[in-house]
Amino acid sequence: MAITEALSLFLRSLETKSYYEILRVDPDADSAAIQAAFHAFSRVYHPDEHVDSPPEASGVAADIFKRAVEAYRCLSRPLNRERYDRGLKRGRLRLEPGRPSTAPPPAVARTLETLARTLEGMAFAQKADRLLATGNLDEARVELAGACKCEPYNHELSERLHLLYEALALGGA
Amino acid sequence: MAVAVGIDLGTTNTVVAAVRDEVVTTLSDSDGERIFPSVVSFHPSGSVLVGRAALDRRLIDAPNTIYSVKRLIGRPWDSPEVQQARAQLPFELREGPKSGTVVVARGEHFTLPEISAFVLRQAKAVAEAALGEPVERAVITVPANFNDLQRAATKTAGRLAGLDVMRILNEPTAAALAYGQPDHGRERIAVFDLGGGTFDVSLLDLADDVFEVLATAGDTALGGDDIDVIVAERMVEDMLSKHRFDARTMPAGFARLRILGEQIKRALSASDEHQLEVDDFVPGNRGASVKWRFRMTRPELEWASLVIVERALTVCQRALESAGLVPNQIDRIILVGGATRMPMVARKVEQFFGRAPTVRINPDEVVALGAAIQADLLDRSPKRTSIPASHPRIDEQSVVAVRPSAAPSLDVPDLPIVGVHSSFPPAARSKSAPASEPPIELDLGDTALGPALVLPPLPPLPQLPALPSRRAPPSPAASRPALAPAAVPAPGARPKVATSTAIRRGAKRRGPLLIDVTPLSLSVETAGGFCDVLIDANMPIPCDRTRSFGTAKDGQTSVHLRVAQGEGRRFADNTLLGELELSGLRAAPRGAVEIAVIFEIDADGMLNVRARDVRTGNETAARIQLVGAQVDAADLDAMRARQVAHPLAARGPR
Repeated sequence: MAITEALSLFLRSLETKSYYEILRVDPDADSAAIQAAFHAFSRVYHPDEHVDSPPEASGVAADIFKRAVEAYRCLSRPLNRERYDRGLKRGRLRLEPGRPSTAPPPAVARTLETLARTLEGMAFAQKADRLLATGNLDEARVELAGACKCEPYNHELSERLHLLYEALALGGA
Repeated sequence: MAVAVGIDLGTTNTVVAAVRDEVVTTLSDSDGERIFPSVVSFHPSGSVLVGRAALDRRLIDAPNTIYSVKRLIGRPWDSPEVQQARAQLPFELREGPKSGTVVVARGEHFTLPEISAFVLRQAKAVAEAALGEPVERAVITVPANFNDLQRAATKTAGRLAGLDVMRILNEPTAAALAYGQPDHGRERIAVFDLGGGTFDVSLLDLADDVFEVLATAGDTALGGDDIDVIVAERMVEDMLSKHRFDARTMPAGFARLRILGEQIKRALSASDEHQLEVDDFVPGNRGASVKWRFRMTRPELEWASLVIVERALTVCQRALESAGLVPNQIDRIILVGGATRMPMVARKVEQFFGRAPTVRINPDEVVALGAAIQADLLDRSPKRTSIPASHPRIDEQSVVAVRPSAAPSLDVPDLPIVGVHSSFPPAARSKSAPASEPPIELDLGDTALGPALVLPPLPPLPQLPALPSRRAPPSPAASRPALAPAAVPAPGARPKVATSTAIRRGAKRRGPLLIDVTPLSLSVETAGGFCDVLIDANMPIPCDRTRSFGTAKDGQTSVHLRVAQGEGRRFADNTLLGELELSGLRAAPRGAVEIAVIFEIDADGMLNVRARDVRTGNETAARIQLVGAQVDAADLDAMRARQVAHPLAARGPR
């Protein structure tokens, strides 16, 4: 049990550590040093090194190891590392700190056409549906915006438009 | 005192291995065979034949003799692979529950994991007979490129066979483990694994006692079997032109040509030309048999199968790109899988990497040997803790002769083919195919046997939770592994395992640590049918990623997500793993409920999902409805019952 508690404590302490601190490397460490540090870390915390420990302990070790993977993966890719370093200066310890609220995709069965309530809106929505089916998000957005203009009171349609904007932002990223 | 074994559950052949007395050995059945065909035949008596006895029935009882299941396992019914197989295979496939695939044999339905379970039961039986003790735990290997559904189905097969599956291990990684530590310091290797039905390439960094997979790529529908089909197609053409007879119209005719095609392929790895003569195949006038001769030369075969090898090299290129490497940055290339015995494969690999590949361990056995080593490493039974273990040695029987000649590791054509093809029906037996297992040459003279290394004692693990001393490599270069003075038997001698010198060492630390990767990107569907990638391909495992999802409507109590694996940008281009339903959310205004969903890829490369309400911290009921592979307790019980109802028979009643 003692080992499980010790590991849990260590896992919690990682919440306040930067990737550099987790792997114990200097902020200017080169990729070879980062890899060596990750290997040394793995020799201690990889769950396979805990096959003789109680199952809960190896579960916590796995959680610790996953944090090291996150750090290693980020620091060993130059672009991600640059982005991380910029965020770190503003106090962000993780590259993507549990990204806030991504809206779920719309229910597959409900097409935009079924949401529209006016004839004009329906015409726009129909076109938008077809464009979505071919993956043409940008033009679908134009059509859907048209439908929303016809039905400014239709919240469901405007929600879908909002989702589409988010999807476009994701695709562009 | 149960032993944990390693099982290479192949498309065409299965091998089981175990570590005994610090030596890792392929286990042989009562006939001395160390490899058995992954073929399952349902006998009229109700018993089930597996292996060679089943292979013999492939021609006489084609509709009830099942093979190539690995190509289909974990794939949904409407996938192109299943639909194509349906047209080609001589046994019946039908749509099963949950868009899965079932095999119909003797009027009974079996899911694909059940068929694989019969093969695994045979592996278990072989191991138990060879070891003289019960076998309950196993590491089972899969192609590195297998997705979550294929891994889950394989794991189910293991459970049905009565095995505790300790790990689903990637085949190339297993091979790397069997080859063991690099001779000097660190090394970057490529494992080129061209098996019967699948191709994988994995790039690994071997350093600091850690085997880190840098990247892996593969094609789960590319293998030596494809070459058999190409040869069989040549034979069909030949028959058509000579006798105006289309073998494809005959029941099981093409299947038989495939077997002959495989035979020709094997023969042409050793000789430049091969001819076979069949006298009961082509019906002539009034249905009487006519003699048919077919000749093929090695250049003809190579020309025909070039496309297969080129496809494999394209996959290699993809893996290298993903790791940010170029071919000449690879220090060593290991060939794995029976199809790498084709001389052309070694040649093309050498051209691609600019370096001759290595074949030191029998390419048919190396994966099982590596799996056995991993099983031993993961074994937590009490006996392991008392016996200090080194990285086990490879049993000499599995070591391939390496000649210290001009081109030392390019001797692929001369490799002994270990007893795989001794059981073709007489009519199909060719003249040049060896009828039994040829003796394995042992020419270990001045060969460095990599696996026979003595590992230096490592410093004890640092006290938890403190980390090891800052940036200090775990083992100083001064104490690098030294070569063991292996007891070299006289050439030609077949040393018994028991007489092998076991290498012992004082430290408790055993073997290298494997850090594998997930082969495929994991993503959720976004609006418009695109992918929001959560976990990238080639991410070390285990790993996880948390993503929050909010409700879009007032009072919404459930959220639906679709999860897929693959590299396509559009969601529909990838393999749908399932739908995730987060239900039982508290009713609140839209956006007020935020669910953090944790997507985890575990050490088996399989997906686990957990979800919790961010505000309340409560775990939410996350239900992932998987396609095809998911089995609930009731399904499992029914499948177990069917396993019990079908005992394995050593040989069919003759």
